[in-house]
Amino acid sequence: MKIKILLLYLVLQLISPTPYSLAQQAKNTISGYVKDAKNGEGLIGVSVYVREAQTGVTTNTYGFYSITLPAGNYNIVYSYIGYEKITKPTNLSEDRTVNIEMADESEQLKEVTITTSKEDENVRSIEMSVNKVEMKTIRKMPALLGEVDLIRSIQLLPGVTTVGEGASGFNVRGGDVSQNLVLLDEAPVYNSSHLFGFFSVFNPDAVKDVKLIKGGIPAQYGGRISSILDVRMKEGNSKKREINGGIGTIFSRLTYEQPFSEGKGSFIVAARRSYIDILAKPFLKKDLRDSKFNFYDLTAKVNYRLGNKDTFFASGYFGKDVFGGGDFGFGWGNATATGRWNHIFSNKLFMNLTAFYSNYDYSLGQNQNDKNAADRFDWKSKIISTSIKPDFTYYLTPNNQLTFGGQYIKYDSRPGKAIAVSEGEESNISLEPRYADESALYIGNEQKLGDKIALQYGIRYSFFRNTGPGIEYEFLELTPGQRKLPILPGNVYKKGDVINTYDNWEPRFSINYSVSSSTSIKASYNRTSQYLHLLSNTAASSPLDVWTLSSSIIKPEKADQVALGWFQNFKDNTYEASVEVYYKKLYNQIDYVPSSSLLLNSYVEGDLLFGNGRAYGAEFYLKKNKGKLTGWISYTLSRTERKVETINNSDWFPARFDKPHNFTAVAIYELKPRLSLSSNFTFTSGTPATFPNSRYVYNSWPIGNNYENKRNNSRIPAYHRLDFAATLKAKRKLFGTGEGEWVFSVYNVYNRRNPFSVYTRINQDDRLKTEAIKYSVIGNFIPAITYNFKF
Amino acid sequence: MKPIRFFFKRALILLFPALWVLTGCEDVIDLTVANAPKQLVVDGWITNQPGVQSIRLSWSAPYFEYTHGAPILNATVTVTDDLGNVFEFTDANKDGRYEWGSDSVTLGHVGRSYTLSIQNGTDKFTAINEIKRVPTVDSLVYQKETLPFTPDNGPKEGYVAQFYARDFVGEGDTYWIKPVINGAVKTSDPTSISVAYDAAFGAGAPSDGMIFILPLRQSITTDSLYLAGVKIGVELHSITTEAYDFLSQVRDQTSNGGIFATPMTNVLTNVVNSNPNGPKALGYFGTSAVSRLETVIDPAKARPEK
Repeated sequence: MKIKILLLYLVLQLISPTPYSLAQQAKNTISGYVKDAKNGEGLIGVSVYVREAQTGVTTNTYGFYSITLPAGNYNIVYSYIGYEKITKPTNLSEDRTVNIEMADESEQLKEVTITTSKEDENVRSIEMSVNKVEMKTIRKMPALLGEVDLIRSIQLLPGVTTVGEGASGFNVRGGDVSQNLVLLDEAPVYNSSHLFGFFSVFNPDAVKDVKLIKGGIPAQYGGRISSILDVRMKEGNSKKREINGGIGTIFSRLTYEQPFSEGKGSFIVAARRSYIDILAKPFLKKDLRDSKFNFYDLTAKVNYRLGNKDTFFASGYFGKDVFGGGDFGFGWGNATATGRWNHIFSNKLFMNLTAFYSNYDYSLGQNQNDKNAADRFDWKSKIISTSIKPDFTYYLTPNNQLTFGGQYIKYDSRPGKAIAVSEGEESNISLEPRYADESALYIGNEQKLGDKIALQYGIRYSFFRNTGPGIEYEFLELTPGQRKLPILPGNVYKKGDVINTYDNWEPRFSINYSVSSSTSIKASYNRTSQYLHLLSNTAASSPLDVWTLSSSIIKPEKADQVALGWFQNFKDNTYEASVEVYYKKLYNQIDYVPSSSLLLNSYVEGDLLFGNGRAYGAEFYLKKNKGKLTGWISYTLSRTERKVETINNSDWFPARFDKPHNFTAVAIYELKPRLSLSSNFTFTSGTPATFPNSRYVYNSWPIGNNYENKRNNSRIPAYHRLDFAATLKAKRKLFGTGEGEWVFSVYNVYNRRNPFSVYTRINQDDRLKTEAIKYSVIGNFIPAITYNFKF
Repeated sequence: MKPIRFFFKRALILLFPALWVLTGCEDVIDLTVANAPKQLVVDGWITNQPGVQSIRLSWSAPYFEYTHGAPILNATVTVTDDLGNVFEFTDANKDGRYEWGSDSVTLGHVGRSYTLSIQNGTDKFTAINEIKRVPTVDSLVYQKETLPFTPDNGPKEGYVAQFYARDFVGEGDTYWIKPVINGAVKTSDPTSISVAYDAAFGAGAPSDGMIFILPLRQSITTDSLYLAGVKIGVELHSITTEAYDFLSQVRDQTSNGGIFATPMTNVLTNVVNSNPNGPKALGYFGTSAVSRLETVIDPAKARPEK
């Protein structure tokens, strides 16, 4: 009832005349794009503040803003962290388009005194549970083997953990790696890792902006239940040709940007390739000489502005990891393509129309390309999603910003296409392709109620269908917690049949109450749902893990999260601080029977167990934005648990990425104009582990047994690590005009063998002996040198 | 899906140069775990082969104790088949090894089911299993191979042996493949337990009625190459799907570790206490029919190196 009254109130607020129009004045709109003066890149999240009206908006992901005010004279203030503030007097006697270019603060450092800008976006914005890391910060942070890495940097933020070093992906507030929607220019990336999990697929030279949304997820996002990692690619320098590159320990990088049509368009092409195989080749003996082990990626984007109302973007990513040698081959990779059209219908109505294609595939085999081989194994798996997604922003009044739109995604999943040839006898052990589609509609509003309260509320409706052709099995449970047997022959569906449908209403709500100009309290609630599941029973997710669609057995995963936060800025926004607490419930979580077989198994659903999850925690975050010393300190106290039929006697147990204490510190110090130093420190609790407490001998094999049948009842030792890096700008101009810099880094400075896991095993020399092993992925300190250039 | 294990082993050799700096390291550490109450353990497997049939009973021990487990003496152990024949197993040597029969008699027969009963003090345990059909092993072949490196535990040059047999038509036959070296069955390493579902690895990847697929055929060559003159062979055991799950779980538990480890889980048992609230037992009572073939490696008959 209370909710209904609240909704009614909000709707009335929305439709009732605003105070400005009460005066019956003519209203006009100022709108336009805000760009970076140096390279013409649109700036995301710039604060556009009207001093006289004491109201403002921020630019959207394309740099667009719009604000409607009664006719009059105004001073419009554009401010953005790291950029010089611009105050523009504007006579709003008619609708105006004002495009702004903002200059990088550091570029201006010597010439102008910095005006005190109100970079208090974190306090004023409705967003909570959101972390942004500027690319220029990520570049300066110490990195493993000197390779600047977006995902590894994300892992240093509050509320984010990882299963361990080298594990792919990241865990947000108790969610597993598959519950993060990783978007590269709005196309989902299914596997964000190169070399299992050591490096991420994002080329740092091509990335403009990174935002991690852990809670208060706005209605326009859906499809994953734990977080959104929104990565935006650079558009390409529209002012001048630019070449960036670097030679690192693992990758060599090259990026080329160029404007065309007198700056109406520009493009960027960025490529990276690992080259350790080339370096190693001379040292390999004959049989290994034809070994392949490399990974590469290619990122490209082009944009073109047609008139003042239309901008077109096309972007793509293609990356592969290739391993092999002799008759053996193994590879995986992502490919995404995105086309976008930004259209300004009126100065109040902005549209972005996105169409994307995303493909993740892998292949593994022996004699894959030799069709005549007597013994051959060829296994391929892929998932393709294609989607169209219109998003509208309607700048209704200065106090109401309405967003609405929808999405349609078509899934084409080929979980395993496999041919095994045994002595010339061929058998096709392929899995049936699976098809589905997901549709969503959403509407949301960002509303200001006076100066103190801002609200964001919305609802997303998602609808999922499994479509034919396909086969679905029912399963028979013989022993609870063990493999279930399929009831054959299964239900066969024809093309055009609808096999299952699911739908979910996903309400989203956030409130920001400003206690003072530098302090606010925020709260949020969101429900999210997910129809695509990564089946993975290993500690770190592997590239072979299969993304599986919801079915009659696999119900959609759902999550409810509430969060409450306090945000405070100090010393004229030099410091920003926040404390957030959250509680999250997860439904229909997937676990696995013992010795589960998740690959090339037509009856994989018989190997799954289901349950729920809960996660709660408190995140403390202090960030210093200005001065010679910048960086942050973060501490998260949290708990993540699962409750799954039969496992741990059907009682709650800690999830494998449960790390109650998680402390990180990042510091960057500009020692001299040419030299900057940086350091990271991480301390986290060890991950949970299950140990046997008794053993028995069967057929001379010692077998471990946990008498109480517990899961994750112990914990491995804590993880801590310190890294250093120094960036030195070269004195000499590169080829007369360019810039060069050296990056020296040391990872794991004090040479700690951090445990990835502790497990028990049988001693291989004396098989009656059982022992415990501490396994470390990185067992020493790793120095590296990288050279970057730009001209 | 076990070809992955097979492929990954090879992949890791190839990946080694790429990962030289990132290669994980293993340290043996002291780990303290709470002790658990001891449980009765059944270690028994009967076959259709003539010979003494043995069922060992022991107690479970603390995890790090170096022991076969204290023997359970004075228990009453019988096996009853579905025709009502009762076989009494006795512990003549008082070492917890309960035996029946002699070299000339056979206990197990294909198509029959067997119930093990154990009376130990006031506790009564039972386990049921059946002997399924087994195909004959058609042939054994071996191929010369030179490794690109010298392994720690075997020769650089030698022979890879494989066996040929065909799965029966009809889905759901499961097998345990055991290497035989110089006349002795070699199953001492639980991490290389080789089990088959029809002619391949699992139920969900149909391979019914085929010749056993390659990684399985070669699974009689375990951790090193064979030298000329060695007598090699295979024992193919028919097992139930429950035994297939049991052996898979033993292998997965004992070969776990590294970055792609799975959570440690208890291995299933088919031994049930007739009192549901009584102490639980561990271990497995297995049954199988056996096909066996052996040969001596003769370099003249070896397939040439590829």
